Amino acid sequence: MNDFSLRKFYGWFTLLGLVVGVLVIVGYYRDENRPWKVYQRKFLQEEIRRAVTPDQRLLAQNTPLQIRQILLPELNRVDRCTTCHLAVEDPSYGNFAQPLAYHPLHDQHPFDKFGCTVCHRGQGRATTVADAHGNVPFWNEPMLPTKYLQASCGQCHEAADNPAAPELARGNQLFETVGCRGCHKLGGVGGNLGPELDRVGARRAPEWLKQHFLSPATVTPGSGMPPQKFAEPDLEAIVLYMLSQTGANLPGFYGSMKVLPSVSEGRRLFQLKGCIGCHTVAGQGGKIGPALDDVGLRRKPEWMMQHFRDPQSVSPGSVMPRFGFTEAEARALTEFLVHLRDQKVSLSIPALMEPTVRGREVFRKYGCAGCHGPEGKGGVPNPNAKTAQQVPALTYVADGYTKPELKKLIVNGQREIVALDPHHPAPPLYMPAWGNTIKDAEIDDLVAYLFTLKPKGEDAGF
Amino acid sequence: MNAPLPKRLWLWLAQTRVGRSVFRVGLPQSNLERSQAMVSSFLLHVQPAKVSRHALRASYTLGLGLISLYLFFILCGTGVLLMFYYVPSTAQAYDVMKDLQFVVSAGLVVRNMHRWAAHLMVLFVMLHMCRVFYTGAYKRPREFNWVIGVGLFLITLGLSFTGYLLPWDQLAFWAITVGTNIAGYAPIVGPKLKYLLLGGNVVGQDALTRFYALHVIVLPAIAGLMISVHLFRVRKDGGLSRPGEADDTSVESIPLAQLPTNKSYGLMELARGTTPQVGKNPDDEVFSWPHLVFRELLLFLLVIAVVLFLAIFWNAPLEEFANPIHPPNPAKAPWYFLGLQELVSYSAFWGGVVVPALLVTMLGVLPYIDRGRAGVGRWFARERTVANTIFTVCLIVAIVLTIIGTMFRGPNWGWVEPWGPPPAITEGH
Repeated sequence: MNDFSLRKFYGWFTLLGLVVGVLVIVGYYRDENRPWKVYQRKFLQEEIRRAVTPDQRLLAQNTPLQIRQILLPELNRVDRCTTCHLAVEDPSYGNFAQPLAYHPLHDQHPFDKFGCTVCHRGQGRATTVADAHGNVPFWNEPMLPTKYLQASCGQCHEAADNPAAPELARGNQLFETVGCRGCHKLGGVGGNLGPELDRVGARRAPEWLKQHFLSPATVTPGSGMPPQKFAEPDLEAIVLYMLSQTGANLPGFYGSMKVLPSVSEGRRLFQLKGCIGCHTVAGQGGKIGPALDDVGLRRKPEWMMQHFRDPQSVSPGSVMPRFGFTEAEARALTEFLVHLRDQKVSLSIPALMEPTVRGREVFRKYGCAGCHGPEGKGGVPNPNAKTAQQVPALTYVADGYTKPELKKLIVNGQREIVALDPHHPAPPLYMPAWGNTIKDAEIDDLVAYLFTLKPKGEDAGF
Repeated sequence: MNAPLPKRLWLWLAQTRVGRSVFRVGLPQSNLERSQAMVSSFLLHVQPAKVSRHALRASYTLGLGLISLYLFFILCGTGVLLMFYYVPSTAQAYDVMKDLQFVVSAGLVVRNMHRWAAHLMVLFVMLHMCRVFYTGAYKRPREFNWVIGVGLFLITLGLSFTGYLLPWDQLAFWAITVGTNIAGYAPIVGPKLKYLLLGGNVVGQDALTRFYALHVIVLPAIAGLMISVHLFRVRKDGGLSRPGEADDTSVESIPLAQLPTNKSYGLMELARGTTPQVGKNPDDEVFSWPHLVFRELLLFLLVIAVVLFLAIFWNAPLEEFANPIHPPNPAKAPWYFLGLQELVSYSAFWGGVVVPALLVTMLGVLPYIDRGRAGVGRWFARERTVANTIFTVCLIVAIVLTIIGTMFRGPNWGWVEPWGPPPAITEGH
């Protein structure tokens, strides 16, 4: 210990110094050689190869390797996808493989306004393949498979009337007709037997959804949901529609698409403003103004717009008042009338219908068919229910109930379903109380409709 | 001169005009200069000019206290770097973590270093505490330094716990939710304490702001001060504990009342009896330069190497963005609280209140209860069998509970075996 020479420390200092030095170099190397640089070098080499003028060559040679990103403050997103996908806006890269492929059809959704992940999902901030594509643990937004891409349209556009997203519209239509709302709430409307679906698209993967439709109990043990018999295209469409339900409320400009002039907005306005008081459609309505069924054949859209602004300016002597529509409202009404001509839209105005027809709409709107079958014909399994292990058909309700009794049953529901075998689990499906969901007048219509379900020629009764 | 290159370089540097003005002494060549090197350097004067051979024995201290200190340095350094980027906002904090990983140069490595050094510091402070216990080093005259050490242990836990929330991911959110819930079980003060910590009843922006302020200013400042006092006291209390110390009467202070008052005293005369310089046997002591200083430097290199190694090859965890309505099952506190969480699962009152309060109190008053001075300075001294046994039993129970909480608890805090099949996670339909 009295040896003051530092010599005996040299070995240790050298060894540990080398270890630290090597670690610093390894850390620096890994940090400096990030995978995205490989793609950028490939792209720049290609640019140099293609260069025609010396200036172009020089530009490509002098382009530094750097992170490229699209800042989308309104969407609270930063998309760095273009760090690797460098040629998305260059059509001359049309036949290149990823990541250097050109991205077609983006003129209506420019990259600087939309970025990438708002449609494709994935992790915009990430700069490695697995992370950016979102196929990593703890990232809940993996990239949407291309065949489900239309699901993203539903974030900003109405699902029902977007001609550019036919699969989405089809899924929406299926959802509203097969009776999903009988058990599930979406947008606050529906039954409470199953979970709400407002965020299902953000929580579930396509494979899960598909499996769940075909055989719910295999992915959700104990689920009482009856297996759905969708044909493959319908299955894909309903899965796509489910994927569109992310619960995301896109801000400002993006979200405003849903109230921009559209056929459905026009229809809503047409009903709201009481146009039917003076005009007829399909023979129904007031006689003061002209019928509107074929107005789209007779008038140009510009004429209609002007007419909404100031009726007398294009129809001297018209008694139609100036309603003071906004431009967007006038545009929406015009869209609606134009499409009415083409019979692309149906005019379902409840005030004009028979109660039984309205009741049928109510039956559809709240998804009664989901459990009671199309037109109440039954056939939906409800294991261990005394009623032949099925949800009862509604064909003969007119025989078993008076109208007030039936109404009361719908309002209060029936929580306890008599079991076939009391030792087995209780039947999963039951009748929810609809009193708080379906309006009173709607229930009257519904009951009227249900009483018409009895097959003709069986009036004799029991 | 036939000295190796680094030494010659150093000698040359130290004798230049600038070198002399900076180092004053140069590379020490004589015992006088060796003493001067320690006394005249700001960085080295914290330590004595001579230390006992015993204090240098790696098998005695295992360097645990020093390792904890180095980890604290690393945490301060990497912490400042992280502060250059971090934004304590629930909307931005998580994005900053992603940016650190994907675009900031060395961002991920720095965050990893901070994370692993933090876990290691908690671990090494605990180990240091065990070492001090098993060698009886908390006894007179070092009783109060032990109490300061217990305080530093709690501060370390506080630093780690407040830092845990900052990434604002699921792990952070729910660990802090669980951790503060445990605090809330205390009677009367519990709910108030929880509210004070969180700035509300649930973890949110206010909690993040408070945890951030605590993590980057309040707790590090307190820790820095207390570490200084801790080191100062090590020296003033007679250096590291060593065998035979109890027989050394010079360790005792002379009560001032017994001193003649008709003369004036130099500072050294009033100082507490033993400092290493005035130990009984000069042969037991060596000069701090180079024997202590060089060992310290080597240990620092070793700690840096280990932390760097961990940081380069293992990433700090980062789960999904915090989601207050979707708790993971099970939600777990940070690992050092999992023993408590396990206890809480049996009884919130016992696990959340009685046991932790009892533990901290017991640790705090330990040196004033266990006053015998036999066996100080030796590991597992036979004379201390009773104390060592009690401590060991408590330690094993704590370790077993922590291991159970960490590895054997699955959904709904049910029993799972880490080597068994992953538990089926059933969600409410």
